Amino acid sequence: MSLPKLARLPSARLLTSVLPHHQLLLPPLSPLTIPCRTKIQQDYRRPGQPREKRYPYNFNFSKGIEGIKKHFTLLKDEFFGRWVGPEGKPLIEHLLEQNLVIWEFRGPESLKQWTVSSDQEIGGQSEAHLKMGRNDITCFLHGKLNCTVPRDGETRYSGYCSMRSKIPKASFDRKKHYDWSSFNTLHLRVRGDGRPWMINIATETYFSHQKDDIYNYFLYTRGGPYWQEVKIPFSKFFLSHRGRIQDNQHPIWLDKVNTIGFTLGDKAEGAFQLEVDFVGVCKDYAHTEEFAYEMYERNPKD
Amino acid sequence: MKCARCLLQLQGLRLQGLRLQGLQLPGLQLQGLQGQSARSAAQHGALLQSSSQPHMLRNTQHQVIRRFHRSPINDKNQPVPAEFIDEDDNKKDKSLVIHDDLFEQVARETKTKATFNKVVEVFIKQDVRRRGHVEFIYAALQKMPEFGVERDLAVYNKLLDVFPKEVFVPRNFIQIMFNHYPRQQECGVQLLEQMECYGIMPNVDTKVLLIQIFGVKGHPVRKYQRILYWFPKFKHTNPYPVPKNLPEDPVDLARLSLARIADDRDAKVTVYQLACTDITESGEEITLPHVVGIQSPSQMELLAQHNPSRPVFVEGPFPLWLRDKCVYYYVLRADPVPPEEKVEEPYDPERSLAYPLQLDLDLDRDLGDEESFDVEDLDEGEVFAMCMTSQGDQAVLNQWVSGLQQNNPILGRVPTLFRLEQGPRELQGAHKTKSDHQHRPDPQTQREEEEEEVSVEEEPRRSQGMKP
Repeated sequence: MSLPKLARLPSARLLTSVLPHHQLLLPPLSPLTIPCRTKIQQDYRRPGQPREKRYPYNFNFSKGIEGIKKHFTLLKDEFFGRWVGPEGKPLIEHLLEQNLVIWEFRGPESLKQWTVSSDQEIGGQSEAHLKMGRNDITCFLHGKLNCTVPRDGETRYSGYCSMRSKIPKASFDRKKHYDWSSFNTLHLRVRGDGRPWMINIATETYFSHQKDDIYNYFLYTRGGPYWQEVKIPFSKFFLSHRGRIQDNQHPIWLDKVNTIGFTLGDKAEGAFQLEVDFVGVCKDYAHTEEFAYEMYERNPKD
Repeated sequence: MKCARCLLQLQGLRLQGLRLQGLQLPGLQLQGLQGQSARSAAQHGALLQSSSQPHMLRNTQHQVIRRFHRSPINDKNQPVPAEFIDEDDNKKDKSLVIHDDLFEQVARETKTKATFNKVVEVFIKQDVRRRGHVEFIYAALQKMPEFGVERDLAVYNKLLDVFPKEVFVPRNFIQIMFNHYPRQQECGVQLLEQMECYGIMPNVDTKVLLIQIFGVKGHPVRKYQRILYWFPKFKHTNPYPVPKNLPEDPVDLARLSLARIADDRDAKVTVYQLACTDITESGEEITLPHVVGIQSPSQMELLAQHNPSRPVFVEGPFPLWLRDKCVYYYVLRADPVPPEEKVEEPYDPERSLAYPLQLDLDLDRDLGDEESFDVEDLDEGEVFAMCMTSQGDQAVLNQWVSGLQQNNPILGRVPTLFRLEQGPRELQGAHKTKSDHQHRPDPQTQREEEEEEVSVEEEPRRSQGMKP
């Protein structure tokens, strides 16, 4: 099941709070020094933890019936949605729309689309919790960061937490992607406490080595009682792999976006909180930049 | 035959033993010496003798005593084997001499940049081959925060100087390909990573040192190039930058943070009270906390339009983080007005003479021109003022509200309720029963306390929580 996998995948941390293999600004190590995890990896398994057993399966009749109902309803919606237009919306809307709200937190069911993780997966002591905000209108991510490094001999930094959306699912648990190719700006309304967060967008990749490729950018909160509207153009997102910013940069491909996430890892111990009202994308006609970083070859052969 | 070095060890121990006993042996004639070794040992002995003060045993001429044939993985924590000591005079102290970590030794004195530099210099001068420099550098990187030098570029450059130069530079393409001297390269990269961690920008000295030590094609120089590329790109990305050196004075800090959260350049900061200690008649010391408040003209207008029959709430404390420092602020706000009571005032046409504020045209926007999101606006009630104080109890906040009353006379007629919680505030979903109600004593209001509390409790508790 891909849902539990997602829950345990550590999302990209900030530039500094990373595990030792994931060295920021370091190229792939030469063959002699590469760690032994070169083969295709599944989720992150904390060293020392037993591998999980996949069997025996639990069979539950009522859950099965519910599942069948849910999937067939989704299938029916998809089938008849095609007659309305692409992605279930009329064609003219799909072509001309300028703003689209992707996630808004109205009601506790919206929290089910998000996964919260913290450095407890690598043995740290930070906590993070997600609940509905005041009047069930916003989401409230709060917790406590603890920067003590877990003593397992290989971890160097600690103290992070993150909130990541789940991959949208079509009928029968097939992966669906967001298509934001007609938009160019990410627009959020947040209210933080002055801490700097990082936004991570993960897209669908072809090769398995690109699985941990994430596009990041900073989300600086002002703090205070007023809401903050943040607009980040997609041209500003830089590519990183496993928390390490890469040399070869390219603009994010928006046609198959999987997840978006918020991470905090600013090495300040203490409580944190972030309220998010909605996350949307929009098309800003005034923004003409294609990419904010240079794309020339970084390590020339000569 | 004992080599000169072993004899030096003997001498060192002997001198230490002598020091303990307060004696000075005349003429350090060494036993069993022959030929040229006598000369060198005598020279060293003379030097040792001339250094009469005890702490000079660690002077620049001092050699870290260690075994000759074993690579000193740790020139720290290596106990001198007992056999050497037993050969000494029986009267001397028979305890094992353990060579502590050079940094640990400084721990007994004050830890400053000067002492850190001194330790590094001791290490550099004691061996031209710099044996054990990788471990020394790792230990130094770890000890830097204790000495308070982790944000000092000069110290990092000095630490880079510990590496022997030109030894690790690859000389042909095979060496380049195969990660020449990987441990040292890893150590160099780790040093740069610590600099990156603390946000220190390296300078041209770092570059020159790195090229001298590792050559242009190694990992450390590549990392340096990356730092130099990405740091300037991200330096000015913060739209709300926090100054690097926060003010020490709490009133200045309060000014800075209130101006930051007010989001209005017209907002005015007022200091209602400065921190001071008073001595009452009974001789007790009372510390009065500082009270700093902020209010902008638009907030004053909103407060003036507020319906006096609805209460205002003083809520707090809410956290605000400035780099690694958390301060707390309190808010004066009101609940959102229910839709049936909302009064829409007609636009005054004289407010703007250049263009009309309200148009009665029947034009519709096309789908492609829809510029706002399809999200309902959050109506959480207005915020009228914010304040920061070191002691957030009701008496102090009362002071703040009465200070506000001078500019906003409506506060005299409006009931004020306090919703305070100890400790950092989270959403009040789980703490609904803990809100503290207190009617602010005001001789001008006609309403009774019980009536007020009842009417407040009858209101649906829609807007409980930490922030408006």
